[in-house]
Amino acid sequence: MKEISMHILDITMNSIKADATLVEIKIEDSIKNNWLKITVTDNGRGMSEEVIERVTNPFFTTRTTRKVGLGLPMLKEACERCGGYLKIESELGKGTKVFCCFERDNIDRAPLGNVGETIMTIINSGNNVELIYIHKTDEGEFVFDTKEVKKILEGMDINDMNVLLWIKEYINENIKNLVNNQ
Amino acid sequence: MNCIEFAEKLHLTPLCEKDGEIEIEGVYIGDLLSIVMSKAKKNYAWITIQTHINIVAVAELLELACIIVVENMEVDDDTLLKAKELKIPVFKTSESAYQMACRIYELGIK
Repeated sequence: MKEISMHILDITMNSIKADATLVEIKIEDSIKNNWLKITVTDNGRGMSEEVIERVTNPFFTTRTTRKVGLGLPMLKEACERCGGYLKIESELGKGTKVFCCFERDNIDRAPLGNVGETIMTIINSGNNVELIYIHKTDEGEFVFDTKEVKKILEGMDINDMNVLLWIKEYINENIKNLVNNQ
Repeated sequence: MNCIEFAEKLHLTPLCEKDGEIEIEGVYIGDLLSIVMSKAKKNYAWITIQTHINIVAVAELLELACIIVVENMEVDDDTLLKAKELKIPVFKTSESAYQMACRIYELGIK
């Protein structure tokens, strides 16, 4: 995928399909340590050991509409190409954690992409999902939590297009400030 | 033109040619799998530098005619094993994607 945010969207959609009600997306972007780490944690159905072992195989999928599943295999390949790795931890009935990292300055690493738009898309597609987004750099961190936003909205629908567009801009602006301070 | 004739005319090295009878109806060049998935079409030959097993999954999903690995990239063993199992022809060449494209154009595939 041409941007890492597309992988984040793909993983989070897996969480939503697994009936997660809470998803935490954490990005750790460190120039000092030369890494870009992404962790997506959910409280969905979880996976058995057997399924965990098979999800990075492109010829394994839980879908019935097609015979290949390329989301996690493509992410794994992208990480490994950039000196990183992908790790999945999961427990049935408790949830799943997908962790991946990239060498930050690797020339083949895709850009992070439009995270604000990704978060907006996730909120818009998963009605009952609460989302926590944490963006951490060497200089500080930014946290976005849909529960907090809903409190501020005082009953207004978070899926209202104007709210979603504000969320997108708010997230992108905060990430930009964090990155510019590095 | 089928895959076998196509490979012979382009002097490609066959790594796996289980189903060489497929007629090639077009060509796509690309290394970003998500873009290839949205652009390449059934019975297209796909030119890439990628060698990971994921390329076989993309070829299977799109029902591509064959995969041509350029720049003499070493193809992973599990990629070839899976390609053989699924009867997806895989060829290799030392030429670049651009050189391949020029020669394919000269063959009349446009």
